[in-house]
Order: sequence, then structure tokens, then C-alpha cells
Amino acid sequence: MTTQGHAPKIRRGLALVLLVGVWETLSQVGYWDPFYAPPPSAVGSVMFGLVADGELWPHLGATALAAFGGLVGGLLLGITLGFVAALFPLLAELLEPVMILLNAIPRVILAPLFVIWLGIGLASKLALATILVAVLIFFAVYKGIQEVDQRLVERIRTLGGGRRVLIQHVYVPSVTAWVMGNFKVAVGFAFTGAVVGEFVASSRGLGYLLQFAQSTYNAALTIALILVIMGFVLVLFSVAERVERHLLRWRHL
Amino acid sequence: MLRVRDLAVSYDDQLVIEGIDLDVETGKFASLVGPSGSGKTSILRVVTELVRPERGTVELDVPLTDVGFLFQDDALLPWRTVKENVGLGLRIRGHQSPEVDDRAEHWLELLGLKGYGGRYPSQLSGGQRKRVALAQILALRPQLLLMDEPFASLDAIVRTRITQELLDWVEREHFTVLLVTHDLEEAVSASDVVYVLGHGPGATIHARYDVEIPRPRNVLDTRRHPAFGPLLAKLWDDLSETRRGENPRP
Repeated sequence: MTTQGHAPKIRRGLALVLLVGVWETLSQVGYWDPFYAPPPSAVGSVMFGLVADGELWPHLGATALAAFGGLVGGLLLGITLGFVAALFPLLAELLEPVMILLNAIPRVILAPLFVIWLGIGLASKLALATILVAVLIFFAVYKGIQEVDQRLVERIRTLGGGRRVLIQHVYVPSVTAWVMGNFKVAVGFAFTGAVVGEFVASSRGLGYLLQFAQSTYNAALTIALILVIMGFVLVLFSVAERVERHLLRWRHL
Repeated sequence: MLRVRDLAVSYDDQLVIEGIDLDVETGKFASLVGPSGSGKTSILRVVTELVRPERGTVELDVPLTDVGFLFQDDALLPWRTVKENVGLGLRIRGHQSPEVDDRAEHWLELLGLKGYGGRYPSQLSGGQRKRVALAQILALRPQLLLMDEPFASLDAIVRTRITQELLDWVEREHFTVLLVTHDLEEAVSASDVVYVLGHGPGATIHARYDVEIPRPRNVLDTRRHPAFGPLLAKLWDDLSETRRGENPRP
């Protein structure tokens, strides 16, 4: 495992270094126009500048806040609506068509509407991230509860357990499993909502910086920001994976 | 004591069993054998109130909370450890933490699962999971034990061993037991009384036999008892008869 396990990583690392090297060389010798394809060194220095003069942090903070708030809000809303729809068929009749419609469209098209309703501040970003996550989680919970293992339900009932015990020992753990199965996607959605919301209209955030870089034709800044966002999302994914592995440890053993 | 009178159960307007009369005296081990799909399980599900009968009565001399039901599949909570699963019934009945843990450990040890308490069901073999399910029920010290082909999925060796363990428990603790099975040898070697259910739909009790083999019993030795062979043969005849009689081939 050890030697063989590291070999692909080393090969991938070398390929990346090679790619960056070729790109740098082609830009330096003037084969690629640095206006459109700035060399990695230029991107690196822009990124260093962003970090060094502290300009990046308030923007990163704003985006992270919107994404995190949207993730929490979307989870709460999605789980609540999923439970409600599963427990009350009458409400499911009302909720399901709306959710199916929201699921079918690219939900980011709602961004301009949220800006009109909620302004260019944090609220519109939170709303977009929330709705992106909530629809995803709603379906996971709603379908999940309907497919809960009936044998477990009967087992609890013959052991003398009522509704409270069923919820605690069967429904909540089942729902946790389905939600966690979608958790990484939800994290990605929350971040998408935050950045796209900022992209549409805002005064801060990574999406705002990206919009600024694009409107000033600053390719180096654009690439640097894309790299920052990728790095940040990767960090979030690894956290999400740890959370998932802990909560679903009974499954992965 | 369990007394069933004139019981009928239907699913989707299809009568599964009807006119069922069945008695299990306190401290006795009764088996119910019959072809698959004949509605054996339905009887247990009525007793445990998972299913409402079409008509008929079920009489118990113990509260429903003293009835243990061992399912065909182990149906353990996959997200709870072995120990938590064993303690689940106790917890539902309001027992508190240190006591529940002690009793769970105690039963795990008795069933040969000492040291497995912290594992999850997915880490156990089929036989071990079955033992956990058994520990979960026995920890409640049920007055009446209902079992629905509990060991059907196990291989012959494990199955014989668990059946023997169960038999030892029943004889020591004088549990009242109703075992549903399609394994005739298992039924004869474990029971005091064997009921034969006919072929469905609308199956009825076809015959009732007393098993004249003294206790305590050893599952393997029982098969060599002079009463074993003839009774087994009778059960075979009964089952093939109900099959021919009630489900004629076209």
C-alpha cells in the first residue's frame, strides 16, 4: 500500500509541475500573450499581493459567512420541509410540485430576484445559498423517510417503543445518513450560491472581486481568485468528509 | 400462556389464515410448522399487535411488554453499537444507563460475544448478529418468547449450536415459547407441542402433536430418540397431504 499508494500522487504532482512549467515558459518567451494568459509567476505575485496586504481576508470572510449561513439555513429548511412533507401528505401535495420545479431549473437564476427583494448585502447571498441547499436536502429527507426500513420500525414497536423512540433511534439516524450522503454536494452548492450572488450584485466577497477582475480585464487576478476559491472549497470538502466519516462510522467500518 | 381462538387474518381482502385455534401453556415450548406463505408469521404479528386480525381473539396471561419477538431477519439498528442494540429494549422500558450497560454486557457474555459490545452490526457475522438479536430479547426476560424462523439464514453448524443454547435457556428459565419454522427437525427436537398449519390461502390448523421426549434435551441426541423418527414422518405426511389436498396441480 505505502509505495504503490504514493506513486500515483507523485506522478500527478510531476504532471502539474510540468504543466505550470510549460505555461510559464510559453508566456515568458512571448508565444502566449500575457494579457490573456498571464504566466504562473504573475498569478502567484497577484495572489501573494492579495494575501500580503490583507485585501483578500474581508472578501473571503464575507463569502465564507454567506456560504456557511446558507449551508446551515438550507440544511435546517430542507430537513424541516422534508419531515413535514413526509409526515403530512396534504402538505406534501402542496410542497412537492414547488420543489420539483425548483429542482428542475438552475436555481442561480433566482439571484437577480433576491437582489431586488433583499438588496446587495449579505441577505441576498444567504437566500440564494439557502435555496440551493434546501431543495437538495428536501428531496434527500423526503424520499429517505418514505423509504425508512420498516423492519426496524416494527422491531422498535415490538420492543415497546412509541413515536419518540422511533424518531430518536430510527428516523433521525436514517435522515442523518441521507443528509450526509449529500453533504459534500450541499457544501459545493452553498459556496456556489454565495459566489454567484456576489457576482450578480455586491460590494464585497470573492464573487465581487471576481466581477471586478473581469470588468477590468485583469486575467492574472481572475485566475488567482479562481485558484483561491478552488483551494477554499477543497479545504471545506475535506472537513465535510471528516464530518461524514464520523457520523456514518457505522457504515464505513 | 397464549390462547388463540378462531383467528382470521387477511391482506388486501385475501384471507391468509382462518379459524386458527392454538394454545401454548405457560412454560411450554410450542412450534408452528407449515409451508412457506401459509401465514405462520401472521399469527405472531397479530399476537404482537403489528397486524389487526379480521376476527378472532388472542389471550395472554402476561402484558404485551413481557412478550419478546425474535424476527426472521436480525433487524438490528445499523447505527448503534452491539451493546446499544442489546440495551435498547431495556432503555425503552425506562431502565437507566449504568444498569443497562451492565445487563447488556452480561447477556453478551452469556451468548459468547464478550468484547464485541463496541462493534457495529456490519462488523459481525450472520450468526453473531443473530446472537445479538437474541441477547436483546432475552435481556428483557420475556415471559413469552415468539420466534419467526429466527435461525433460517444460518448454516447448519451455527444453527444447531444456537438452537441448543436457546433450548438451555428456555429449560432453565421456563420461558413460554412459540416458534414458527418450516424446519420440521428443529420443531420436533425443540418443542413440547407441534402445530401443523395447512396450505394457504385461508390456511387452518391441520394437526397438533405432543412431543414425548424428556427434558433437558440435547438437539443432536434428540434425533436419535425413538419418538423422533415416527413424529417427523407424520409431519412430513401431513404437510404433503395439505399441499396435495388444498393446492391441486392443474
